[in-house]
Amino acid sequence: MKTLLAEMQQLNAGYGSQAVLENVNLTIAAGEVVAVLGINGAGKTTLIKSLLGLMPYQCEHFSLLGYQQHDQRRAANIKQQLGVMLQLGSVSATLTVAEQLLVFRHYYANPKSLAELLEIADLEAVQHHRCGDLSAGQQQRLLLALALCGNPRLLFLDEPTVGMDIHARRRLWQQIAELRQQQVGMLLTTHYLEEAEQLADRVVVLHQGRVIANDSVSSLKSRLNYQRIRCRSSLSQQQLWQLPGVVDVSSERLLTITSKSAPDTLRALLNQDPDLQDLDVQMLSLEHIFLHLTGGQA
Amino acid sequence: MNTVYFSETYYDLKSLLRTPSFFIPSLAFPLVFYIFFGIILHFSQGHPGYLLVGYGCFGVIAPALFNFSVYVATDRAKGWLTLKRLSPMPMTAYLCAKLLSSLVFAVVIWALLLLLATTAGKVTLAPSQYLLLTAILLLGVIPFALLGLLLGLTFAERSTPAIANLIYLPTAFFGGLWIPIMLFPEALQNVALWLPTFHFAQLAFAVIGADEGIAWYWHVGYLLLFSVVMGAAIRWRWQTLSGD
Repeated sequence: MKTLLAEMQQLNAGYGSQAVLENVNLTIAAGEVVAVLGINGAGKTTLIKSLLGLMPYQCEHFSLLGYQQHDQRRAANIKQQLGVMLQLGSVSATLTVAEQLLVFRHYYANPKSLAELLEIADLEAVQHHRCGDLSAGQQQRLLLALALCGNPRLLFLDEPTVGMDIHARRRLWQQIAELRQQQVGMLLTTHYLEEAEQLADRVVVLHQGRVIANDSVSSLKSRLNYQRIRCRSSLSQQQLWQLPGVVDVSSERLLTITSKSAPDTLRALLNQDPDLQDLDVQMLSLEHIFLHLTGGQA
Repeated sequence: MNTVYFSETYYDLKSLLRTPSFFIPSLAFPLVFYIFFGIILHFSQGHPGYLLVGYGCFGVIAPALFNFSVYVATDRAKGWLTLKRLSPMPMTAYLCAKLLSSLVFAVVIWALLLLLATTAGKVTLAPSQYLLLTAILLLGVIPFALLGLLLGLTFAERSTPAIANLIYLPTAFFGGLWIPIMLFPEALQNVALWLPTFHFAQLAFAVIGADEGIAWYWHVGYLLLFSVVMGAAIRWRWQTLSGD
Protein backbone atom coordinates (compact mmCIF):
# COMPACT_ATOMS: atom_id res chain seq x y z
CA MET A 1 0.00 0.00 0.00
CA LYS A 2 1.48 3.30 -1.07
CA THR A 3 1.48 6.37 1.15
CA LEU A 4 -1.63 8.46 0.60
CA LEU A 5 -0.65 12.10 0.07
CA ALA A 6 -4.20 13.35 -0.11
CA GLU A 7 -7.44 11.76 0.98
CA MET A 8 -10.74 13.56 0.80
CA GLN A 9 -14.11 12.09 1.64
CA GLN A 10 -17.56 13.46 0.89
CA LEU A 11 -16.45 16.83 -0.36
CA ASN A 12 -19.19 19.37 -1.01
CA ALA A 13 -18.44 22.79 -2.36
CA GLY A 14 -20.21 25.53 -4.22
CA TYR A 15 -20.79 29.22 -4.71
CA GLY A 16 -23.54 30.60 -2.51
CA SER A 17 -26.53 28.26 -2.67
CA GLN A 18 -25.35 26.73 -5.95
CA ALA A 19 -23.64 23.38 -5.34
CA VAL A 20 -20.75 22.68 -7.69
CA LEU A 21 -19.31 19.51 -6.14
CA GLU A 22 -21.40 16.87 -4.41
CA ASN A 23 -20.04 14.03 -2.28
CA VAL A 24 -16.74 13.78 -4.08
CA ASN A 25 -14.16 11.28 -2.82
CA LEU A 26 -10.59 11.55 -3.95
CA THR A 27 -7.24 10.02 -3.08
CA ILE A 28 -3.77 10.66 -4.44
CA ALA A 29 -0.96 8.28 -3.50
CA ALA A 30 2.79 8.84 -3.70
CA GLY A 31 3.97 8.18 -7.24
CA GLU A 32 0.44 8.24 -8.62
CA VAL A 33 -0.87 10.45 -11.40
CA VAL A 34 -4.59 11.12 -11.08
CA ALA A 35 -6.23 12.80 -14.06
CA VAL A 36 -9.47 14.68 -13.48
CA LEU A 37 -11.58 14.86 -16.59
CA GLY A 38 -14.81 16.66 -17.20
CA ILE A 39 -16.46 19.11 -19.54
CA ASN A 40 -16.29 22.83 -18.70
CA GLY A 41 -18.40 23.46 -15.62
CA ALA A 42 -18.10 19.90 -14.34
CA GLY A 43 -16.28 21.14 -11.23
CA LYS A 44 -12.59 20.50 -12.02
CA THR A 45 -11.43 23.96 -10.98
CA THR A 46 -13.64 23.94 -7.89
CA LEU A 47 -12.08 20.62 -6.89
CA ILE A 48 -8.53 22.00 -7.17
CA LYS A 49 -9.48 25.21 -5.38
CA SER A 50 -11.01 23.24 -2.50
CA LEU A 51 -7.96 21.01 -2.15
CA LEU A 52 -5.67 24.03 -2.13
CA GLY A 53 -7.86 25.95 0.30
CA LEU A 54 -8.71 28.73 -2.13
CA MET A 55 -12.43 28.44 -1.46
CA PRO A 56 -14.73 27.26 1.34
CA TYR A 57 -15.96 23.67 1.28
CA GLN A 58 -17.36 21.00 3.59
CA CYS A 59 -16.10 17.47 3.88
CA GLU A 60 -16.19 14.58 6.26
CA HIS A 61 -12.50 13.89 6.21
CA PHE A 62 -9.55 15.53 4.52
CA SER A 63 -5.94 14.73 5.16
CA LEU A 64 -3.13 16.31 3.21
CA LEU A 65 0.44 15.01 3.49
CA GLY A 66 -0.52 13.22 6.68
CA TYR A 67 -2.12 16.22 8.40
CA GLN A 68 -5.84 16.61 9.02
CA GLN A 69 -7.20 19.74 7.37
CA HIS A 70 -10.01 21.24 9.40
CA ASP A 71 -10.52 24.41 7.43
CA GLN A 72 -9.40 26.38 4.40
CA ARG A 73 -6.05 27.38 5.84
CA ARG A 74 -3.01 25.40 4.76
CA ALA A 75 -0.06 25.51 7.14
CA ALA A 76 3.35 26.64 5.91
CA ASN A 77 4.84 23.15 6.35
CA ILE A 78 2.14 21.78 4.00
CA LYS A 79 2.78 24.52 1.47
CA GLN A 80 6.49 23.69 1.56
CA GLN A 81 5.63 20.28 0.10
CA LEU A 82 3.06 21.36 -2.50
CA GLY A 83 3.71 22.44 -6.06
CA VAL A 84 1.00 24.24 -7.98
CA MET A 85 0.73 25.07 -11.64
CA LEU A 86 -2.46 27.02 -12.21
CA GLN A 87 -4.00 28.64 -15.23
CA LEU A 88 -2.79 32.23 -15.03
CA GLY A 89 -3.59 35.13 -17.28
CA SER A 90 0.12 35.80 -17.64
CA VAL A 91 3.24 35.92 -15.53
CA SER A 92 4.59 39.09 -13.92
CA ALA A 93 5.88 41.23 -16.75
CA THR A 94 8.72 43.27 -15.26
CA LEU A 95 11.07 40.65 -13.85
CA THR A 96 13.28 38.38 -15.94
CA VAL A 97 12.89 34.62 -16.03
CA ALA A 98 15.93 34.08 -13.78
CA GLU A 99 14.80 36.77 -11.32
CA GLN A 100 11.32 35.31 -11.09
CA LEU A 101 12.75 31.88 -10.34
CA LEU A 102 15.05 33.39 -7.69
CA VAL A 103 12.06 35.10 -6.05
CA PHE A 104 10.28 31.76 -5.70
CA ARG A 105 13.40 29.87 -4.62
CA HIS A 106 13.47 32.08 -1.52
CA TYR A 107 10.09 30.73 -0.42
CA TYR A 108 11.28 27.16 0.06
CA ALA A 109 13.46 25.47 2.62
CA ASN A 110 15.16 23.13 0.13
CA PRO A 111 14.81 24.67 -3.30
CA LYS A 112 16.18 23.37 -6.57
CA SER A 113 19.11 25.32 -8.01
CA LEU A 114 18.50 28.04 -10.58
CA ALA A 115 20.37 26.02 -13.20
CA GLU A 116 18.19 22.99 -12.57
CA LEU A 117 15.00 25.06 -12.79
CA LEU A 118 16.09 26.67 -16.05
CA GLU A 119 16.83 23.23 -17.42
CA ILE A 120 13.42 21.87 -16.35
CA ALA A 121 11.68 24.76 -18.06
CA ASP A 122 14.05 24.67 -21.05
CA LEU A 123 14.44 28.44 -20.70
CA GLU A 124 18.24 28.80 -20.41
CA ALA A 125 18.35 30.74 -23.67
CA VAL A 126 15.82 33.33 -22.51
CA GLN A 127 16.73 33.50 -18.82
CA HIS A 128 17.51 37.23 -19.03
CA HIS A 129 14.36 38.11 -20.95
CA ARG A 130 11.46 39.76 -19.17
CA CYS A 131 8.72 37.27 -18.31
CA GLY A 132 6.21 39.48 -20.12
CA ASP A 133 8.07 38.91 -23.40
CA LEU A 134 7.81 35.11 -23.29
CA SER A 135 5.57 33.15 -25.64
CA ALA A 136 2.53 31.39 -24.19
CA GLY A 137 4.35 28.04 -24.23
CA GLN A 138 7.44 29.50 -22.53
CA GLN A 139 5.24 31.05 -19.84
CA GLN A 140 3.65 27.67 -19.20
CA ARG A 141 7.12 26.13 -18.83
CA LEU A 142 8.16 28.89 -16.44
CA LEU A 143 5.05 28.17 -14.36
CA LEU A 144 6.03 24.50 -14.28
CA ALA A 145 9.50 25.42 -13.02
CA LEU A 146 7.93 27.64 -10.33
CA ALA A 147 5.71 24.73 -9.27
CA LEU A 148 8.74 22.44 -8.97
CA CYS A 149 10.89 25.06 -7.21
CA GLY A 150 10.57 23.56 -3.72
CA ASN A 151 10.86 19.84 -4.65
CA PRO A 152 7.17 19.15 -3.94
CA ARG A 153 5.82 15.77 -2.83
CA LEU A 154 2.39 16.59 -4.22
CA LEU A 155 1.91 18.48 -7.45
CA PHE A 156 -1.23 20.08 -8.86
CA LEU A 157 -1.22 20.63 -12.60
CA ASP A 158 -4.21 22.52 -13.96
CA GLU A 159 -4.24 22.05 -17.73
CA PRO A 160 -0.45 22.18 -17.89
CA THR A 161 0.04 21.76 -21.63
CA VAL A 162 -2.35 24.48 -22.83
CA GLY A 163 -0.45 26.68 -25.25
CA MET A 164 2.51 24.30 -25.52
CA ASP A 165 3.67 23.01 -28.88
CA ILE A 166 3.91 19.27 -29.45
CA HIS A 167 7.61 19.20 -28.58
CA ALA A 168 7.14 20.97 -25.25
CA ARG A 169 4.13 18.80 -24.50
CA ARG A 170 6.09 15.56 -25.00
CA ARG A 171 8.85 16.96 -22.85
CA LEU A 172 6.42 17.73 -20.04
CA TRP A 173 4.97 14.25 -20.29
CA GLN A 174 8.46 12.87 -19.87
CA GLN A 175 9.05 15.12 -16.85
CA ILE A 176 5.79 13.93 -15.31
CA ALA A 177 6.89 10.33 -15.81
CA GLU A 178 10.22 11.09 -14.07
CA LEU A 179 8.46 12.81 -11.17
CA ARG A 180 6.23 9.78 -10.79
CA GLN A 181 9.35 7.62 -10.49
CA GLN A 182 10.56 9.93 -7.72
CA GLN A 183 7.30 9.13 -5.88
CA VAL A 184 5.72 12.54 -6.44
CA GLY A 185 1.91 12.35 -6.38
CA MET A 186 0.15 14.40 -9.05
CA LEU A 187 -3.33 15.68 -9.73
CA LEU A 188 -3.75 16.68 -13.35
CA THR A 189 -6.68 18.28 -15.09
CA THR A 190 -6.65 18.27 -18.84
CA HIS A 191 -8.80 18.76 -21.89
CA TYR A 192 -6.59 16.44 -23.89
CA LEU A 193 -7.80 12.90 -23.34
CA GLU A 194 -4.69 11.60 -25.06
CA GLU A 195 -2.71 13.24 -22.26
CA ALA A 196 -4.74 11.48 -19.57
CA GLU A 197 -4.40 8.20 -21.44
CA GLN A 198 -0.62 8.61 -21.67
CA LEU A 199 0.05 9.81 -18.15
CA ALA A 200 -2.64 8.86 -15.71
CA ASP A 201 -2.61 5.86 -13.42
CA ARG A 202 -6.16 6.68 -12.58
CA VAL A 203 -8.87 8.75 -14.21
CA VAL A 204 -11.56 10.55 -12.24
CA VAL A 205 -14.44 11.66 -14.44
CA LEU A 206 -16.46 14.55 -13.04
CA HIS A 207 -19.88 15.21 -14.42
CA GLN A 208 -22.27 17.82 -13.05
CA GLY A 209 -20.31 17.95 -9.81
CA ARG A 210 -20.26 14.21 -9.16
CA VAL A 211 -17.63 11.56 -9.70
CA ILE A 212 -19.10 9.22 -12.32
CA ALA A 213 -15.96 7.14 -12.82
CA ASN A 214 -12.78 6.62 -10.81
CA ASP A 215 -10.63 3.88 -12.27
CA SER A 216 -7.51 3.07 -14.25
CA VAL A 217 -7.63 3.76 -17.97
CA SER A 218 -7.45 0.04 -18.75
CA SER A 219 -10.27 -0.90 -16.36
CA LEU A 220 -12.40 1.85 -17.78
CA LYS A 221 -11.76 0.45 -21.21
CA SER A 222 -12.53 -3.10 -20.25
CA ARG A 223 -15.63 -2.00 -18.36
CA LEU A 224 -16.99 -0.68 -21.60
CA ASN A 225 -15.87 -3.58 -23.69
CA TYR A 226 -16.87 -2.27 -27.10
CA GLN A 227 -14.79 -2.15 -30.24
CA ARG A 228 -14.91 0.20 -33.16
CA ILE A 229 -14.90 -1.11 -36.69
CA ARG A 230 -14.10 1.43 -39.38
CA CYS A 231 -14.42 0.60 -43.06
CA ARG A 232 -15.99 1.43 -46.40
CA SER A 233 -18.93 -0.81 -47.18
CA SER A 234 -21.61 -1.04 -49.82
CA LEU A 235 -24.20 -2.26 -47.30
CA SER A 236 -27.09 -0.02 -46.32
CA GLN A 237 -27.47 1.42 -42.80
CA GLN A 238 -30.39 -0.92 -42.23
CA GLN A 239 -28.35 -3.98 -43.19
CA LEU A 240 -25.51 -2.86 -40.94
CA TRP A 241 -27.79 -2.45 -37.94
CA GLN A 242 -28.93 -6.05 -38.38
CA LEU A 243 -25.41 -7.47 -38.07
CA PRO A 244 -24.71 -9.36 -34.82
CA GLY A 245 -23.25 -7.33 -31.94
CA VAL A 246 -23.82 -3.88 -33.47
CA VAL A 247 -24.74 -1.15 -30.96
CA ASP A 248 -24.11 1.93 -33.08
CA VAL A 249 -23.57 2.88 -36.71
CA SER A 250 -22.40 6.25 -37.90
CA SER A 251 -20.82 7.44 -41.11
CA GLU A 252 -18.67 10.46 -41.62
CA ARG A 253 -15.77 10.00 -44.02
CA LEU A 254 -15.57 6.34 -43.07
CA LEU A 255 -18.31 4.15 -41.73
CA THR A 256 -17.99 3.62 -37.98
CA ILE A 257 -19.66 0.63 -36.38
CA THR A 258 -19.55 0.18 -32.61
CA SER A 259 -19.85 -3.45 -31.62
CA LYS A 260 -20.00 -5.34 -28.37
CA SER A 261 -18.68 -8.42 -30.17
CA ALA A 262 -16.33 -7.44 -32.99
CA PRO A 263 -15.51 -11.03 -34.19
CA ASP A 264 -19.20 -11.81 -34.77
CA THR A 265 -19.88 -8.49 -36.44
CA LEU A 266 -16.82 -8.78 -38.66
CA ARG A 267 -17.60 -12.34 -39.73
CA ALA A 268 -21.08 -11.34 -40.82
CA LEU A 269 -19.88 -8.11 -42.41
CA LEU A 270 -17.22 -9.87 -44.53
CA ASN A 271 -19.76 -12.48 -45.56
CA GLN A 272 -22.32 -9.97 -46.70
CA ASP A 273 -20.03 -7.38 -48.28
CA PRO A 274 -17.29 -8.81 -50.54
CA ASP A 275 -16.25 -5.25 -51.53
CA LEU A 276 -15.34 -4.18 -47.98
CA GLN A 277 -12.36 -1.74 -47.92
CA ASP A 278 -10.10 0.17 -45.54
CA LEU A 279 -10.94 -2.09 -42.61
CA ASP A 280 -9.65 -1.04 -39.18
CA VAL A 281 -10.64 -2.43 -35.77
CA GLN A 282 -9.83 -0.59 -32.53
CA MET A 283 -10.49 -0.75 -28.84
CA LEU A 284 -12.50 2.27 -27.74
CA SER A 285 -10.22 5.18 -26.83
CA LEU A 286 -10.60 7.12 -23.60
CA GLU A 287 -12.37 9.78 -25.61
CA HIS A 288 -15.15 7.39 -26.59
CA ILE A 289 -15.47 6.16 -23.03
CA PHE A 290 -15.64 9.73 -21.84
CA LEU A 291 -18.35 10.54 -24.38
CA HIS A 292 -20.26 7.47 -23.36
CA LEU A 293 -20.00 8.28 -19.63
CA THR A 294 -21.00 11.90 -19.97
CA GLY A 295 -23.86 11.22 -22.36
CA GLY A 296 -22.22 12.54 -25.49
CA GLN A 297 -21.20 15.98 -24.27
CA ALA A 298 -17.60 16.89 -24.95
CA MET B 1 16.84 37.86 9.55
CA ASN B 2 14.62 36.07 7.09
CA THR B 3 15.93 36.37 3.54
CA VAL B 4 12.42 36.17 2.04
CA TYR B 5 11.70 39.70 3.27
CA PHE B 6 14.89 41.02 1.76
CA SER B 7 14.50 39.28 -1.59
CA GLU B 8 10.83 40.21 -1.88
CA THR B 9 11.64 43.90 -1.24
CA TYR B 10 14.63 43.86 -3.57
CA TYR B 11 12.64 42.42 -6.47
CA ASP B 12 9.62 44.64 -5.81
CA LEU B 13 11.90 47.68 -6.04
CA LYS B 14 13.57 46.33 -9.14
CA SER B 15 10.24 45.79 -10.78
CA LEU B 16 9.06 49.32 -9.87
CA LEU B 17 12.27 50.80 -11.28
CA ARG B 18 11.48 49.07 -14.56
CA THR B 19 8.03 50.64 -14.68
CA PRO B 20 8.44 54.23 -15.89
CA SER B 21 4.69 54.77 -15.70
CA PHE B 22 5.10 54.37 -11.94
CA PHE B 23 8.21 56.31 -11.05
CA ILE B 24 8.10 59.16 -13.57
CA PRO B 25 4.77 60.62 -12.40
CA SER B 26 5.60 59.80 -8.76
CA LEU B 27 8.78 61.87 -8.95
CA ALA B 28 7.76 64.46 -11.49
CA PHE B 29 4.46 65.66 -10.03
CA PRO B 30 5.66 66.92 -6.63
CA LEU B 31 8.99 68.20 -7.96
CA VAL B 32 7.57 70.08 -10.95
CA PHE B 33 4.73 71.50 -8.86
CA TYR B 34 7.22 72.62 -6.24
CA ILE B 35 9.53 74.28 -8.76
CA PHE B 36 6.61 76.07 -10.37
CA PHE B 37 4.42 77.04 -7.42
CA GLY B 38 7.04 77.08 -4.68
CA ILE B 39 10.06 78.64 -6.32
CA ILE B 40 9.09 80.43 -9.54
CA LEU B 41 5.83 81.88 -8.18
CA HIS B 42 7.37 83.28 -5.02
CA PHE B 43 4.47 84.93 -3.18
CA SER B 44 5.85 85.53 0.28
CA GLN B 45 8.67 84.75 2.70
CA GLY B 46 7.11 81.63 4.23
CA HIS B 47 5.78 80.34 0.94
CA PRO B 48 8.57 77.91 -0.13
CA GLY B 49 8.62 76.38 3.36
CA TYR B 50 4.86 75.87 3.42
CA LEU B 51 4.83 74.25 0.00
CA LEU B 52 7.81 72.07 0.86
CA VAL B 53 5.70 70.48 3.59
CA GLY B 54 2.54 70.36 1.43
CA TYR B 55 4.23 68.80 -1.58
CA GLY B 56 6.26 66.57 0.72
CA CYS B 57 2.99 65.05 1.99
CA PHE B 58 1.63 64.93 -1.56
CA GLY B 59 4.83 63.30 -2.82
CA VAL B 60 5.19 60.52 -0.24
CA ILE B 61 1.55 59.41 -0.51
CA ALA B 62 1.80 58.55 -4.22
CA PRO B 63 4.27 55.62 -4.17
CA ALA B 64 2.46 53.91 -1.30
CA LEU B 65 -1.04 54.47 -2.66
CA PHE B 66 -0.14 53.39 -6.20
CA ASN B 67 2.25 50.54 -5.39
CA PHE B 68 -0.38 48.95 -3.19
CA SER B 69 -3.43 49.62 -5.36
CA VAL B 70 -2.30 49.30 -8.96
CA TYR B 71 0.25 46.50 -8.59
CA VAL B 72 -1.77 44.44 -6.12
CA ALA B 73 -4.72 44.66 -8.53
CA THR B 74 -2.41 43.52 -11.35
CA ASP B 75 -0.98 40.64 -9.30
CA ARG B 76 -4.51 39.63 -8.45
CA ALA B 77 -5.78 39.84 -12.02
CA LYS B 78 -2.87 37.81 -13.41
CA GLY B 79 -3.32 35.08 -10.81
CA TRP B 80 0.11 35.94 -9.50
CA LEU B 81 -1.17 36.76 -6.03
CA THR B 82 -2.92 33.37 -5.90
CA LEU B 83 0.32 31.60 -6.78
CA LYS B 84 2.13 33.50 -4.03
CA ARG B 85 -0.62 32.71 -1.53
CA LEU B 86 -0.27 29.02 -2.38
CA SER B 87 3.48 29.15 -1.90
CA PRO B 88 4.97 29.06 1.61
CA MET B 89 5.84 32.76 1.35
CA PRO B 90 4.50 34.53 4.45
CA MET B 91 1.95 37.10 3.30
CA THR B 92 3.63 39.63 5.58
CA ALA B 93 6.72 39.40 3.34
CA TYR B 94 4.68 40.49 0.34
CA LEU B 95 3.14 43.40 2.24
CA CYS B 96 6.34 44.49 4.01
CA ALA B 97 8.16 44.43 0.68
CA LYS B 98 5.60 46.71 -0.91
CA LEU B 99 5.71 49.06 2.09
CA LEU B 100 9.51 49.18 2.17
CA SER B 101 9.83 49.78 -1.56
CA SER B 102 7.21 52.52 -1.32
CA LEU B 103 9.23 54.08 1.50
CA VAL B 104 12.39 54.01 -0.60
CA PHE B 105 10.58 56.06 -3.24
CA ALA B 106 9.13 58.33 -0.55
CA VAL B 107 12.64 58.99 0.79
CA VAL B 108 13.97 59.81 -2.68
CA ILE B 109 11.08 62.19 -3.41
CA TRP B 110 11.44 63.90 -0.01
CA ALA B 111 15.23 64.19 -0.39
CA LEU B 112 14.89 65.81 -3.82
CA LEU B 113 12.25 68.22 -2.52
CA LEU B 114 14.51 69.12 0.40
CA LEU B 115 17.40 69.71 -1.97
CA LEU B 116 15.29 72.05 -4.10
CA ALA B 117 13.83 73.82 -1.08
CA THR B 118 17.11 74.44 0.70
CA THR B 119 18.94 75.61 -2.43
CA ALA B 120 16.61 77.32 -4.91
CA GLY B 121 13.81 77.87 -2.35
CA LYS B 122 16.17 79.23 0.36
CA VAL B 123 14.20 77.39 3.06
CA THR B 124 16.01 77.30 6.39
CA LEU B 125 14.63 75.07 9.11
CA ALA B 126 16.26 73.77 12.28
CA PRO B 127 17.80 70.26 12.00
CA SER B 128 15.22 68.99 14.51
CA GLN B 129 12.44 70.27 12.23
CA TYR B 130 13.87 68.38 9.24
CA LEU B 131 14.13 65.22 11.33
CA LEU B 132 10.63 65.49 12.73
CA LEU B 133 9.18 66.21 9.28
CA THR B 134 10.96 63.19 7.84
CA ALA B 135 9.61 60.96 10.61
CA ILE B 136 6.04 62.25 10.17
CA LEU B 137 6.13 61.91 6.39
CA LEU B 138 7.43 58.33 6.48
CA LEU B 139 5.08 57.12 9.22
CA GLY B 140 2.16 58.97 7.68
CA VAL B 141 2.53 56.85 4.55
CA ILE B 142 1.04 53.81 6.34
CA PRO B 143 -2.68 54.79 6.28
CA PHE B 144 -2.39 55.51 2.55
CA ALA B 145 -0.64 52.20 1.91
CA LEU B 146 -3.59 50.49 3.62
CA LEU B 147 -6.08 52.49 1.57
CA GLY B 148 -4.17 51.48 -1.58
CA LEU B 149 -4.18 47.82 -0.55
CA LEU B 150 -7.94 47.91 -0.04
CA LEU B 151 -8.39 49.40 -3.51
CA GLY B 152 -6.02 46.84 -5.01
CA LEU B 153 -7.94 43.98 -3.41
CA THR B 154 -11.30 45.39 -4.47
CA PHE B 155 -11.18 46.84 -7.96
CA ALA B 156 -10.37 45.35 -11.34
CA GLU B 157 -6.90 45.76 -12.79
CA ARG B 158 -8.00 48.22 -15.43
CA SER B 159 -10.09 50.53 -13.25
CA THR B 160 -7.72 50.67 -10.26
CA PRO B 161 -5.31 53.37 -11.58
CA ALA B 162 -8.22 55.67 -12.41
CA ILE B 163 -9.89 55.10 -9.05
CA ALA B 164 -6.62 55.66 -7.18
CA ASN B 165 -6.11 58.94 -9.04
CA LEU B 166 -9.70 59.96 -8.38
CA ILE B 167 -9.00 59.59 -4.69
CA TYR B 168 -5.43 60.90 -4.65
CA LEU B 169 -5.76 64.20 -6.50
CA PRO B 170 -9.02 65.52 -5.00
CA THR B 171 -8.12 64.50 -1.45
CA ALA B 172 -4.71 66.17 -1.87
CA PHE B 173 -6.37 69.37 -3.01
CA PHE B 174 -9.28 69.42 -0.53
CA GLY B 175 -7.03 68.25 2.29
CA GLY B 176 -5.05 71.47 1.92
CA LEU B 177 -1.80 69.98 0.57
CA TRP B 178 -1.54 72.56 -2.20
CA ILE B 179 -3.50 75.53 -0.85
CA PRO B 180 -4.23 76.26 2.83
CA ILE B 181 -7.82 75.32 3.61
CA MET B 182 -8.32 78.76 5.20
CA LEU B 183 -8.61 80.04 1.63
CA PHE B 184 -11.53 77.66 0.94
CA PRO B 185 -15.21 78.50 1.48
CA GLU B 186 -16.41 77.29 4.87
CA ALA B 187 -18.35 74.31 3.47
CA LEU B 188 -15.17 73.00 1.88
CA GLN B 189 -13.20 73.57 5.07
CA ASN B 190 -15.62 71.21 6.79
CA VAL B 191 -15.04 68.60 4.09
CA ALA B 192 -11.31 68.73 4.80
CA LEU B 193 -11.90 67.60 8.38
CA TRP B 194 -13.03 64.21 7.03
CA LEU B 195 -10.03 63.59 4.79
CA PRO B 196 -6.98 61.59 5.87
CA THR B 197 -4.79 63.87 3.75
CA PHE B 198 -5.84 66.86 5.86
CA HIS B 199 -4.92 65.23 9.17
CA PHE B 200 -1.64 63.89 7.81
CA ALA B 201 -0.67 67.29 6.42
CA GLN B 202 -1.71 69.14 9.61
CA LEU B 203 0.76 67.06 11.63
CA ALA B 204 3.51 68.00 9.19
CA PHE B 205 2.48 71.68 8.97
CA ALA B 206 2.55 71.89 12.78
CA VAL B 207 6.33 71.28 12.65
CA ILE B 208 6.80 74.62 10.86
CA GLY B 209 3.96 76.30 12.77
CA ALA B 210 1.71 76.52 9.73
CA ASP B 211 -1.11 74.28 10.93
CA GLU B 212 -4.75 75.19 11.62
CA GLY B 213 -4.29 74.95 15.38
CA ILE B 214 -6.08 71.68 16.08
CA ALA B 215 -4.31 69.61 18.78
CA TRP B 216 -1.99 66.93 17.33
CA TYR B 217 -3.77 64.05 19.08
CA TRP B 218 -6.95 64.65 17.06
CA HIS B 219 -4.96 64.13 13.87
CA VAL B 220 -3.15 61.10 15.22
CA GLY B 221 -6.44 59.69 16.52
CA TYR B 222 -8.11 60.18 13.15
CA LEU B 223 -5.26 58.51 11.28
CA LEU B 224 -5.18 55.59 13.71
CA LEU B 225 -8.94 55.10 13.41
CA PHE B 226 -8.71 55.38 9.63
CA SER B 227 -5.97 52.72 9.60
CA VAL B 228 -8.00 50.38 11.81
CA VAL B 229 -11.05 50.72 9.54
CA MET B 230 -8.89 50.08 6.46
CA GLY B 231 -7.27 47.11 8.19
CA ALA B 232 -10.66 45.58 9.01
CA ALA B 233 -11.91 46.10 5.45
CA ILE B 234 -8.70 44.57 4.07
CA ARG B 235 -9.12 41.57 6.34
CA TRP B 236 -12.67 41.09 5.11
CA ARG B 237 -11.64 41.44 1.45
CA TRP B 238 -8.76 39.04 1.99
CA GLN B 239 -11.03 36.35 3.40
CA THR B 240 -13.56 36.65 0.58
CA LEU B 241 -10.80 36.57 -2.01
CA SER B 242 -11.06 33.15 -3.63
CA GLY B 243 -8.21 32.66 -6.02
CA ASP B 244 -9.82 34.86 -8.68
